[in-house]
Amino acid sequence: MEVSDLLLDRALASGARSIAVVGTGKNVGKTVVMRAIYRAAIARGMCVGLTSIGRDGEANDFVDTVAKPRLRLAAGTLVAGALGALPRSPALQWCECTDIQSASGPLAIVRVRSESEVEVVGAPTASGLRGCVASLFAHGADIVAIDGAIDRIAALREEDAVVVCCGAASSPSVEAIAAEVGALVALLGLSRYDGKGAALRVDGAFTPTHAATLIAAGERRAVVVRDATRVTLRGRALLGVLSRLQIRVERPLHPVAVTVNSVGRTGSVEPQALLQAVHAAVALPTFDLFAASAA
Amino acid sequence: MSADEFIDRSSANAIGEEWLAVAIEPRSAYGARENAKRRRFRPGEEREAMASAGRIARIAECLDPDLMERALARLARLPDISAALARVAVGDSLDDAEALAFLRFADGASELQRALEGCDELPNCAGEAVEALRVLFERGRVGGHAFYLHDSFDDALRSERERYEEARARFEAARGRLERKVAEALGRSARFDEEFIVLREELAKPLPSGVRVVREAPTYVLCEIDLDEESRAQLERREEAARAVALAEERVRAALAREVFTLGDGLARATFALGEIDLVLAAASWAQRFACRPAELDAAGEIQIVEGRWLPLQERLESAGGAFVPSSISWSGAAIVTGPNMGGKSVALRTVGFIALCASLGLPVPAQRARLALPPMIRWLGIGPDDETRGALLSSFAEEAVRLRDAFRALAPRSLLLVDEFARTTTPREGFAILVASLQSARERGADIIAATHLAGVAAAAGARHFAVRGLRGIPTPTPGADIDRLLAALADCMDYRIEELSEDRRESSDALALASLLGVDEGIVLRARGILKTIAE
Repeated sequence: MEVSDLLLDRALASGARSIAVVGTGKNVGKTVVMRAIYRAAIARGMCVGLTSIGRDGEANDFVDTVAKPRLRLAAGTLVAGALGALPRSPALQWCECTDIQSASGPLAIVRVRSESEVEVVGAPTASGLRGCVASLFAHGADIVAIDGAIDRIAALREEDAVVVCCGAASSPSVEAIAAEVGALVALLGLSRYDGKGAALRVDGAFTPTHAATLIAAGERRAVVVRDATRVTLRGRALLGVLSRLQIRVERPLHPVAVTVNSVGRTGSVEPQALLQAVHAAVALPTFDLFAASAA
Repeated sequence: MSADEFIDRSSANAIGEEWLAVAIEPRSAYGARENAKRRRFRPGEEREAMASAGRIARIAECLDPDLMERALARLARLPDISAALARVAVGDSLDDAEALAFLRFADGASELQRALEGCDELPNCAGEAVEALRVLFERGRVGGHAFYLHDSFDDALRSERERYEEARARFEAARGRLERKVAEALGRSARFDEEFIVLREELAKPLPSGVRVVREAPTYVLCEIDLDEESRAQLERREEAARAVALAEERVRAALAREVFTLGDGLARATFALGEIDLVLAAASWAQRFACRPAELDAAGEIQIVEGRWLPLQERLESAGGAFVPSSISWSGAAIVTGPNMGGKSVALRTVGFIALCASLGLPVPAQRARLALPPMIRWLGIGPDDETRGALLSSFAEEAVRLRDAFRALAPRSLLLVDEFARTTTPREGFAILVASLQSARERGADIIAATHLAGVAAAAGARHFAVRGLRGIPTPTPGADIDRLLAALADCMDYRIEELSEDRRESSDALALASLLGVDEGIVLRARGILKTIAE
């Protein structure tokens, strides 16, 4: 079985029908993972819906203008994308023009009729994303893949299976990459507050200052925040706080797998070492789509 | 319905103009455009205003509420084709999203026409042009309402697409052969991504041909499939075929745009008709919901309102499980309304203003029966929700005086002045004098003025008709610790909000002490106040 099939199986095993792909930073292989999930689903005869949180799928990175891996879509694929970014040719089947707005115009639901490359500029908000995913399912998608972004996880939904991508582009060493993604997965995987036991509710952001104060006071209650986006700690600092405080959320997310990319724009790390170190740090199935390996 | 000479912002707020604007707001872009052109009927246009209200009332009567709601929902979903029509009018092409909009527009307009067919009061919104539009885009219909620039639009498009598919298949086959060759050499499956890694430890010999190294690392090489000459040639043919498809598609879009252009006048008429239908249906739905009826508009007669209702409050009360008590009132020239606190004096004034506002917009009015003139101006004079506009520069009385000055400067015959407890913040003696003088002056200038007041003797002094709220049927028993909502509900149960005309200017009770007691004012204070009242009376 191919690694991309294993990754898709893992996401579907969680019961989710929508899979969001987020990365620890830019150029960590997010689009490669999207493409792998997409191709594996297409190979199984599934009708795939695609969308993104904000802008993604373009040929060149919008921020640093470096060429990005392309996403070539097969006939039958559904896309929720901005009107201004969808191609005129080959002609698409236009299913619905929605009221959901993006920087590139209102979003439309289209079906690819002839294999083509499509830039997917999705909804920038959580409610817009929910609307897009619902429309994709309404038009017949079996699964929906969401090209996400770490700075836009607020738009992720409880029902999404989240695949986290990490790689040499965001940190300089195997250890640093593993620590960074370990903290991110711990953050995304914060458990729901079950209502049992004493709790301290924190409205708004949970900052390092909050954390230091509570640790110093020997806080034993569960510290409840709305969702993972409210926690502003990252990396080792976050892991340290999680070992001392019981942080819980009202709206949990569901990370199901992690992927690694040992190749960065300016350097690279040893693939097998990275795969093993990340797997140990996240305690989730871990995949290297470039090297076709899994842990 | 913006603030203008007819009604200023403060008066509009007091009467509930914004509530009305929302309640009768059309649902579609077409209706919104017609709504922006909506104008008020002026004195002298009584016949036109009555015709408008009559038409809305007849539609409200003949259409089932569910049908009306479904029609309005359909209008809300109708795509706006105006921008696309403007584009084709200047010779521009169409895009496929616009083609989808045209198809859905034609479907929606036709469905709407069929649904409303029994109602003669509404224009036809699906004439020949709409049907021609539907036929034009029908070939692109997929399933219910999706659109695709289908091969059947043009034979050349079909053949270019076939050529592209052949070219694509040949390229895929050539690349597939390369991938299989590379996979065999590397001992992997044949599915390669754009870039892939080969570990050096896996490499017993140099990389096979057909693989290009993107980057070397100590333990692996990052590679991609390197197209050979045949694959590159097939890729070039595929790209060329794709360009030909794009050109063929553009030709079809341009031809469709030209066809739409020829339908432009008919489609423009359909959009106007849809706007009118939306506007009238929204008003009819509102009129039906609130049992509104056309008023009789008479430039010369007195104002007669039977069982009038102020809808913003009626809606609020009904949503909370309560009921609104209608009020009836008739006068010409000057009238006053007296009665207890919280008895509905201000609401009676707002009801009159709201009914006049509806009539001036050509709408049925919320009353069992109403007869009035079209007012050239409506002014609310009194402490209202919008009286902080001049900040702390003016005292409450000064603010009232300025508004009185402005109203009288613009006063014309049949202007409607609604005066709510005017001058209550100055001495009762001087307040009385100003109020009586205002009532007399307004009447002399042919305006209709009605004032709510607690001041005694105003009606007699001004020669005005005198109406009074019946007031409390008994004193509710205060419940210690009850919240304000329960207290108000207890009060509402005991209050008779009906208004009756008094034959003479009798001394009124405001039931103020009973209310103070009910609302929890210290009982010692209330008892002492009762004693003082008794002393004054003796």
